Amino acid sequence: MTPNIAVLEIESPHFHMPRLWLPLFLLWIPLLLLSPLILFVILAACIAGCINFWRAIATFWGILCALRGLNIRVTTHDSKVMVRIL
Amino acid sequence: MNENRRQILEMLASGKITTDEAERLIAALEPEQVATAGVFTGNIAGSNHWSGDDKDTPVRTHAKYLRVLVESTEKNGPTTVNVRVPMQLLRAGVRLASLIPAQAHDQLDATLSKHGVPLTLSQIKPENLEELIDHLDDLSVDVDAKEEKAKVRVFCE
Repeated sequence: MTPNIAVLEIESPHFHMPRLWLPLFLLWIPLLLLSPLILFVILAACIAGCINFWRAIATFWGILCALRGLNIRVTTHDSKVMVRIL
Repeated sequence: MNENRRQILEMLASGKITTDEAERLIAALEPEQVATAGVFTGNIAGSNHWSGDDKDTPVRTHAKYLRVLVESTEKNGPTTVNVRVPMQLLRAGVRLASLIPAQAHDQLDATLSKHGVPLTLSQIKPENLEELIDHLDDLSVDVDAKEEKAKVRVFCE
């Protein structure tokens, strides 16, 4: 299943971003509208690179769906970065 | 709640095992869950739920995440890195190798060998990489560098 929410938090001495909860599921709407263009670009790239179009789509779809559960936290003495994909 | 624990509770709810047996099973799973995937042998009296045909066949649950934990103490202060990568992402990522056109394999092999990496991409099959990822369940790396005040742990859970 595709990821639904991304949580981002970045803190540094010069920059502070509050914890953002990004609803990734809302991105589906513009992506669906742009899908013909995106698929055309991918098709052109696959033809130019001699890559099987359907295998490429399946691979990238698999990567997208596997992003759920990714959790990265880096904390130093004066900065913090957190990325979570739910 | 992981799959093993859920199965134990379902067996308890359906009366296949007693509360004492459930408690022993959960306690047996606890120390293994941090570093490796759970392995359980179905040797509980009156219960054949785990292994199907053979009671002694171990039932292995595959790890779901690859964890990398780094803790270091530097001059300015402590630094921690905590990364959790889903194993599915690793599997999906290795499939990217199958997208490389065959014509590019020779060029890549030549470039890699020129830089001292004796790797032949055309001989790496996705199923080999899948098997490698499956065996990552047993991976556990603990590095404790006292001089550099750094600890690194890599394991699957």
